[in-house]
Amino acid sequence: MEEKEKKKHRAKHSGPKAEKKRKRYLNDLGIGDEENARKRNPKAFTVQSAVRMARTFHRTQDLKTKKHHIPVVDRTPLEPPPVVVVVVGPPKVGKSTVIKCLIKNFTRQKLVEIRGPVTIVSGKKRRLTIIECGCDINTMIDLAKVADLVLMLIDASFGFEMETFEFLNICQVHGFPKIMGVLTHLDTFKNNKQLKKTKKKLKHRFWTEVYPGAKLFYLSGMVHGEYQKQEVHNLGRFISVMKFRPLTWQTSHPYVLADRMEELTNPEDVRINPKCDRKISLYGYLRGAHLKNKSQIHMPGVGDFTVSDVSFLPDPCALPEQQKKRSLNEKEKLFQEEVRPNHELVQSLISTHSAIDVKMASSKVSLFMDSKPLGSEDVGQEFVMPKEERQVDLKTGRVRRKAVFEDDEKENEASDEEDDQEEEDDEEAVSEDGSEGDDENDAEEESERVLLREGIAVRRAKRLKTEVAQEEAVNELPAFADSDDDLEMSSEEGETAPEDSEMEEDEEEEEEEEGDVQRTCKDESSDSEFEAPNKRAESKQYDMNSERTEVKSQISEHSPKRKAVLTTDSGNCTAEEASESEDENSSLEEGDDEGGSHEELEAEESNRNGFQHSQAKKADSVRQTKVKTVDTEDDDVENLLREKEEYEEEIDLSVDTTGALKWKEDLTQKAAEAFLRQQRSTPNLRKLVYGTAVEDEDQESEDADDELGGLFRVSRPDTASKQKANALDCSKFLVEKPQDWDLEEVMNSIRDCFVTGKWEDDKDVTLLKIIHVYRIFKKTEWLTNAHMSWVFVVAEELYGDFEDLETGVVHKGKAAAGGEQSGSEEEEEEDEETTKPEPEEEKKKKERMDKKRKLKEMFDAEYDEGDATYFDDLKEEMHKQAQLNRAEFEDQDDETRVQYEGFRPGMYVRIEIENVPCEFVMNFDPHYPIILGGLGNSEGNVGYVQLRLKKHRWYKKILKTRDPLILSLGWRRFQTIPMFYIEDHNGRHRLLKYTPQHMHCGAAFWGPITPQGTGFLAVQSVSGTTPDFRIAATGVVLDLDKSITIVKKLKLTGYPFKIFKNTCFIKGMFNSQLEVAKFEGAAIRSVSGIRGQIKKALRAPVGAFRATFEDKLLMSDIVFVRTWYPVSIPTFYNPVTSLLKPAGEKDSWSGMKTTGQLRYERGIKLKQNKDSLYKPIVREKRHFNKLHIPKALQKALPFKNKPKNLEKKGKTPKDQWRPAVIREPHEKKISALLSALSTVNNYKIKKAKVKHREQLKEYLKVKQKEDEQKFKRQKEAKKKVYRILGQREKKRQKSSLKGSSKGEKSV
Amino acid sequence: MKSGKGNFLILSVLYSLDFEASFIRLIDKVTNGSRIEINQTGTTLYYQPGLLYGGSLEHDCSPSRGIGYYLESLLCLAPFMKHPLKIVLRGVTNDQVDPSVDVLKATALPLLKKFGIDGESLEIKINRRGMPPKGGGEIVFSCPVRKVLQPVQFTDPGKIKRIRGTAYSVRVSPQMANRMVESARGILNKFLPDIYIYTDHMKGVSSGKSPGFGMCLTAETINGTILSAELASNPQGQGEAVLPEELGQSCAKLLLEEVYRGGCVDSTNQSLALLLMTLGQRDVSKVLLGPLSPYTIEFLRHLRSFFQIMFKIETKTTEEEHTGGEKVLMTCVGIGFHNLSKTIR
Repeated sequence: MEEKEKKKHRAKHSGPKAEKKRKRYLNDLGIGDEENARKRNPKAFTVQSAVRMARTFHRTQDLKTKKHHIPVVDRTPLEPPPVVVVVVGPPKVGKSTVIKCLIKNFTRQKLVEIRGPVTIVSGKKRRLTIIECGCDINTMIDLAKVADLVLMLIDASFGFEMETFEFLNICQVHGFPKIMGVLTHLDTFKNNKQLKKTKKKLKHRFWTEVYPGAKLFYLSGMVHGEYQKQEVHNLGRFISVMKFRPLTWQTSHPYVLADRMEELTNPEDVRINPKCDRKISLYGYLRGAHLKNKSQIHMPGVGDFTVSDVSFLPDPCALPEQQKKRSLNEKEKLFQEEVRPNHELVQSLISTHSAIDVKMASSKVSLFMDSKPLGSEDVGQEFVMPKEERQVDLKTGRVRRKAVFEDDEKENEASDEEDDQEEEDDEEAVSEDGSEGDDENDAEEESERVLLREGIAVRRAKRLKTEVAQEEAVNELPAFADSDDDLEMSSEEGETAPEDSEMEEDEEEEEEEEGDVQRTCKDESSDSEFEAPNKRAESKQYDMNSERTEVKSQISEHSPKRKAVLTTDSGNCTAEEASESEDENSSLEEGDDEGGSHEELEAEESNRNGFQHSQAKKADSVRQTKVKTVDTEDDDVENLLREKEEYEEEIDLSVDTTGALKWKEDLTQKAAEAFLRQQRSTPNLRKLVYGTAVEDEDQESEDADDELGGLFRVSRPDTASKQKANALDCSKFLVEKPQDWDLEEVMNSIRDCFVTGKWEDDKDVTLLKIIHVYRIFKKTEWLTNAHMSWVFVVAEELYGDFEDLETGVVHKGKAAAGGEQSGSEEEEEEDEETTKPEPEEEKKKKERMDKKRKLKEMFDAEYDEGDATYFDDLKEEMHKQAQLNRAEFEDQDDETRVQYEGFRPGMYVRIEIENVPCEFVMNFDPHYPIILGGLGNSEGNVGYVQLRLKKHRWYKKILKTRDPLILSLGWRRFQTIPMFYIEDHNGRHRLLKYTPQHMHCGAAFWGPITPQGTGFLAVQSVSGTTPDFRIAATGVVLDLDKSITIVKKLKLTGYPFKIFKNTCFIKGMFNSQLEVAKFEGAAIRSVSGIRGQIKKALRAPVGAFRATFEDKLLMSDIVFVRTWYPVSIPTFYNPVTSLLKPAGEKDSWSGMKTTGQLRYERGIKLKQNKDSLYKPIVREKRHFNKLHIPKALQKALPFKNKPKNLEKKGKTPKDQWRPAVIREPHEKKISALLSALSTVNNYKIKKAKVKHREQLKEYLKVKQKEDEQKFKRQKEAKKKVYRILGQREKKRQKSSLKGSSKGEKSV
Repeated sequence: MKSGKGNFLILSVLYSLDFEASFIRLIDKVTNGSRIEINQTGTTLYYQPGLLYGGSLEHDCSPSRGIGYYLESLLCLAPFMKHPLKIVLRGVTNDQVDPSVDVLKATALPLLKKFGIDGESLEIKINRRGMPPKGGGEIVFSCPVRKVLQPVQFTDPGKIKRIRGTAYSVRVSPQMANRMVESARGILNKFLPDIYIYTDHMKGVSSGKSPGFGMCLTAETINGTILSAELASNPQGQGEAVLPEELGQSCAKLLLEEVYRGGCVDSTNQSLALLLMTLGQRDVSKVLLGPLSPYTIEFLRHLRSFFQIMFKIETKTTEEEHTGGEKVLMTCVGIGFHNLSKTIR
């Protein structure tokens, strides 16, 4: 028994262990290594065939090159936005369960219900946004476009379903994100073998669809309604380490997967017109590319919009790294994760609010409370709105909101509301923490209101304070010198409250007036003069107003307007505007009220600087401040005034250079042109170009429809363009005040711009020359390492010599030895070096070291050049560019950065959109993803788009030209009418009636311009579900144009009415001579295949023409000409607005119907054309005329071939008739007798013949009988003979056998 | 419309001068599907941009402005056409107002090459010279199309290694050109020995309809920066006669002024360089310029209103004394523009 239990040891034959053992064994034998094998058996490694060797080499190179992707600049942001994980699968496959489990895995928190995207932190550097995708094809399409990772859930007990394949196909078309399969329902398999088999089968199918080796996860069983912890953990780990390939469309377009929506419409507007267009703001992480303010975006399912405002908010779900956590050890992690929901688990506010537990809910609200003041800055009075809105968003949107804002619709919706309330209550009861959630909400609301009030109070107080401060400031004397600093400060600070502008406004007006005066001096513009008084009047009005908040809002609206007005003038290149912009800046900074009043004071002071002077002096002084910053020596105001005058002269384009310039006296002043002087400091230049530094675009847009006093319209382009319109539009930059280039000083100022001038240290001539020598060596290809070292030595000597020089060692000889190239320049330099004093030795040493290093680097670069391929170079270049991109704006704060490069991906942004259809808000459903897809520059336009299209092989029908089709292209889903065509060999686009079955064809439609190379897919309908595969066609955009040439064939027929030899007159093809003229020279053909050409129109029947053919036509022939008729493409473009449908009907969008559908619905039967029916073909018997051979031809023919139809003989003429014979009576008797005798004889002969025949018959009968008997006899005789013969043969055989046996026996 | 010129267009038609009408016609020729409506009084213009089409074209420019006026905007548009542009422009090749064709040929084309618009077909050929007031010149401009532009880092102008130039004279004594060259050399030789100024005397048909002469000078640095200056004689019957010596001298001085301004792009082409940077891929581009011309400043504003792009503007003061005036370093991130017209196969 015991022996049986013991298993015998089995040595391993494979695996790493066995490998190791074998190696050791071989090593022991001394034949271990591969290298040894090579030594051992060199023949096996020799080149057997050079050709094959070359081939294998080529092949390996091919394979290697194939692996290369075109290197692209890595533009991924340093702090990437959360990874979008889309969980997709057919219904009842366990999508929500997977999401819940994943969230629980990462956060240790349980979400009861999930609506919309959920963002979690999954690791130190990664966040995930998990979103569920239903089976609505609209959702599938939208989410496939934004997905980074797709978790494809597959019910293993059922197998693949159509949804899975549809989604895969959608993914393929819109760039292929990472796809991970997850098999669920594996516990339903009872049989283990069956399970294994299914797994394998599914895996391989999945591989063919995605790529071989694609990861497929197995979630085996459920424990308490959740997947097994370990399996989910593994899945989570896979997700959090996954790497993603950049997808072209995603990386080239900014997009936001919105996780929160707010309505900002004025409630009054909604009350007046419940169907008015709404203003909304959406929140979410920006992904893809940089987003610019005012850019165009598309919301799939809603439409195109222009962003009215973008602002970034602090990250609501920041990475742990940003919270200064250096390492995330296990304990800490746990802890963090437990706390995490407070600030990191952001369940979108759109979706669940009451459903998730209270702790999270509260955290969320607190989060967005933080963000709110940052986000919605401009809306003091509208602030109440979003809060209520938010509540609305929680539950099915529409009902709640109506209850709040619209009295009239209240009754209708009341019952619904109640229902919802009940539901909500139920849910809360179900949720763990009971009804606390609601209470908290209310509490928060209240607190928010309180906060608001407080804020208002604070503002009021602040205003008082600022007033005091300003009064103080008035008494102070301005300090000019630090105007620059002020500029910087004001631009950096950005913390003054908008309310402060009230006081400043007056000043601004003053200043503006001054500015106006100036302006009028310069360009005689009078508009602004009118503006100023108007504004003043307005502001007075405001003062009268009693409602404080209103005043405030108006002011806040007003000041930006003014600002915009001011900025427009900056085109004049005057400096005073810079200072203007300062105050605007400071006044316009909105945001938190906590910004200390102290800072404001400072800002105020800085503003004061500009205002103290009288109007005349004002602008001058500002300019002076600038001058002063540059050359601080001059303080004298008068002096500067004089200078200013000079400057103005210069502006007047006075070209008189009287040569009275005294260069020796104040060279610096004269040398620097007045224009240049303006550009001395960076902020000034920037302001000069762009007006105020932080310009708020939204206010700019507001002022477009601003009217001042109902009379004057403030329109920006007018003021801005004034100078431009008056001036000559020319790019030449004229020299206003040429310098005197005969003077030595002036010439010296550009001396070093030439190669003959002095070089910078790092580009030392000597160094360059050494490198030059080195290059020559390299070119001549006799550079070895020894030479290299020699060059180094030379360099060493050269630079080492400086040390010697100082000690007094003679250098020249060495330099000569080192290289003759180092010429006089070197000596010069050396001289310079020698003149330098001792204490600089250290510095020089360092310089020398630098030089050496640089030299070495250059050598290295040169030397390594050989290995680098083109590909490597390209990659290196891209890498450098990427680094530059990262480094360029790194050190700047986000505010300025955003201006330069736009909002960068990874930021949490708030996007305001106006004119959104009310249905979007009213029928809001958080389950449907809201995507804001940024559009490129001209992607908002429409035009003709040409595609390469192929009907999907799984789609059962073929597609018909002129049937509406829904395309998903770029961000968009839209219905359009495509025309299918095929390109002929000569480049003609010929219309097709249907798509080919298994072939690509072209398609052209009228729709949005989308970059070439973008993939698309087509479906015939997005509503409902069909058992069949829904994707009708896929393809790619080829070309965009504003006109298109698709043609269809048109045959014009005509009939000959007169036939000459090869020439015919043909009628019925055209209607006028003109038409004929158009077709002169065209090729025509008869039905029988005779080719011809149109020659010229005839006069007689209108439209008839003369034509020649290669053969003679028949009158019965039909002649036709083949022409091509351009087809116009219907300009039909209808975006699929599925998100505007009421909740629950969002998957039932239907646009234009096909004629087939309409006919089917209305029961209209198509009237068939009689000619199209098939009938039995009855052919008439055709009679051919006799062949006629011309006489001449007949003559020439040989006799054999000559027709031999002899003519019938006519009547013989009388003369040739034979004479009749008349017999004598005697002769008559004789002949009668003879005939009688012969008759008798004949009769006898006949009788004899009959008799003879009978006799013969008789005879034959007898003979036959005899023969038969004879035959019989013979047969018998033969039988006898053969028998005897056979017997004899047998005997002989027997005897022979016997004989042999005998013989054997005898032996 | 891809150039800031579009905006100008709308505004400047307030005058509806003949050269502007001609410009609109030119724009209509190179595009497909543009809609241009001018009201009866000629005070407003409605322009709806079409697609840049290109192809082989011909255009008679109005002689009241130089060909350079038209060519400048074509240089902006040509790389983004559907078909490579090859256009024959007729009119005034050299005048006192606009950058002449010679200067654009010497400066703008190398600039385009920096942005990856390269190839044999990129060229400007001067068949005939035409001076104002009557013109009669003819040039051929051809440009390949590109899908994307490369970002540039163009911050080191380098030192000037050679000066080249053209002294042209039409319908005047051929000696004029030589006299100009002599006087210009006299000034420039103080800085650099490597100077060569070609004399270009056009005769017969290729000399246009009006007499005149002038010269343009270019200074090329070791890094490939080209700075230019030009001057032309007064048109016949306008202003007083100019001595060729004087003209040569002042042209040379203008070149020195340009050198003093410095930068990696000469003042005429600042806007072109900035536009091409803007239309580049989403990468950082840098260019060092001399002082911004008023035209460039206005152009920058247009760039912002068209593309929402702002340049980072830094003033660079040179440590050394003798390298001219202050420079401006312009940095921007391209908008990621793709040539949507170009067909793919």
